[in-house]
Amino acid sequence: MAARLRSLRRGIYLYFRLLGQEMKSILAYRADFIVLLIAAVLVQLVGLAFIGIIFTRIPNIQGWTFWQVVMMYSLIFITEGVGSLFFEGTWWLSWLIYSGEFDQVMVRPVSPMVQVLASKVGFNGLGNIVTGSLLLVVSLTHVSVNWTPVGLLMVLILLVSGATIRVALNLGTAALSFWIKSPHSNVPMFVHQLGEFGKYPITIYSVGVQAVIVLVIPFAFVSFYPTAYVFDQANWALAGLLTPLVAIYCLVMAATLFRRGMRRYESSGN
Amino acid sequence: MGTVPHMRKYFAIARASFEVVFVYRAGFALNMFGTVLYVVAMFYLWQTIFLGKAGALGAFSWPQMKAYLLVAFLTNSLMTWFDEGDMGRDIRMGRIATDLTRPIDFQAKRFADAIGPLPVELSSALLVGAVVVFAFGGIAAPPDPVHAALFVVSTALATLLKFAIVYCVSMTAFWTTGMVGIRVGRTAIQNLLSGAMIPLAFFPDWLRSVAAVLPFQGLVSTPALTYLGQMDGPTTALMIGVQAVWAVALLFAGRALWRRAIKAVTIHGG
Repeated sequence: MAARLRSLRRGIYLYFRLLGQEMKSILAYRADFIVLLIAAVLVQLVGLAFIGIIFTRIPNIQGWTFWQVVMMYSLIFITEGVGSLFFEGTWWLSWLIYSGEFDQVMVRPVSPMVQVLASKVGFNGLGNIVTGSLLLVVSLTHVSVNWTPVGLLMVLILLVSGATIRVALNLGTAALSFWIKSPHSNVPMFVHQLGEFGKYPITIYSVGVQAVIVLVIPFAFVSFYPTAYVFDQANWALAGLLTPLVAIYCLVMAATLFRRGMRRYESSGN
Repeated sequence: MGTVPHMRKYFAIARASFEVVFVYRAGFALNMFGTVLYVVAMFYLWQTIFLGKAGALGAFSWPQMKAYLLVAFLTNSLMTWFDEGDMGRDIRMGRIATDLTRPIDFQAKRFADAIGPLPVELSSALLVGAVVVFAFGGIAAPPDPVHAALFVVSTALATLLKFAIVYCVSMTAFWTTGMVGIRVGRTAIQNLLSGAMIPLAFFPDWLRSVAAVLPFQGLVSTPALTYLGQMDGPTTALMIGVQAVWAVALLFAGRALWRRAIKAVTIHGG
């Protein structure tokens, strides 16, 4: 047990060291970094303007108010930002496998998953996290609840769960590259793009679409269910409490896929 | 006299770029898939809004709104192959030097490159549009053949205008390497101010005035409103004229920027 804990701590330490090195190399191109940040913020402002304009015409969408939809948006943006800033490496996995560069990862005495996750930094994520967090905080002030430490802790748990689900989806779908040997597997991007459906209350979709984003690719647990839970705990208690469990399930599945895949890995050779 | 062999030269470039789409068909399909998901999410959202409203929103009925969204999807699907990233890559890898030595006009070559995939973009957009119409019920038709014909003219101008805008913006590649951020930022602004996300008529007055003096409205709003026949005769003619003027002005602006940029390259190259 103690040995396991030590290796976990070492993994986390190395992850941040590796990520830090990668960040330095990006900060060398300061102008690019600033342009990317501004672009990420612009995308969010435009999204906010869009729902803002819609709500000048209608009071609510099937009972969902402006600030509830803002919170769904903010959760999608924050979790996306966490994915880019800290775990951009998953997008490189298919290339590492295809090119045989995964060999290098295998021979190093560090967890391959840590190396893959820390291999890239997407700085646009910082813009997403900052503006997304601002939107989240503002939307939380519109919840008619007396905030207690426990309530705030629950918001944090839901946020971490949502981010975990998205990173797990990225990692799990990227791990499919161990089976699909192509330089750029499209599966992760396909799944990632389904996040578009997470920006709005799921009640607007048909039953089929709802089934997909609740059961198959659980984006509903990233944005909709946490929002519903925070705004109306009486009716959505179950959805909120399920969210961390879904996150754990996704993470375990992704890690299993990654490990199974790694066992199948045979280098493309030189 | 010399124009016919010239045309043949650019036609060959366009054909080559047409064939490239088939080589990178997975990338093309993925691009398309992203737009389709976006459109489907928009359809659900607006369907909910219109059903809740029981009738019209401003000048739009639900069948008209569906037509608007599909025209937006169509014009957004055209001329997508060429973006700021290409110019960035060409400059970074020095391919621009080869282009300079060739007896071709740089802008015309880019245009030929960009227009090559148009048949594929058009047919796949129409196919997707047909499926969406099938799933969400009928859409409004243009009020008469004149408006239908003007819509075709306006869409063609929108495509030319999009090329002109992207060409101008991509000239920033001579001064920054952050082309991903530039493209993302341009797309965000364009999506809002062209009316692609929401008809300009729904904007608050100040934002509508901003959109009116910028070229972006010619990308989506003008073709869509022409299709629906929502503008009277003189206004339609005026708006299509505005599209044409912007397209020509920005094409010339692009040429001017290119001449300046090339001087910068010569200086740096020594």
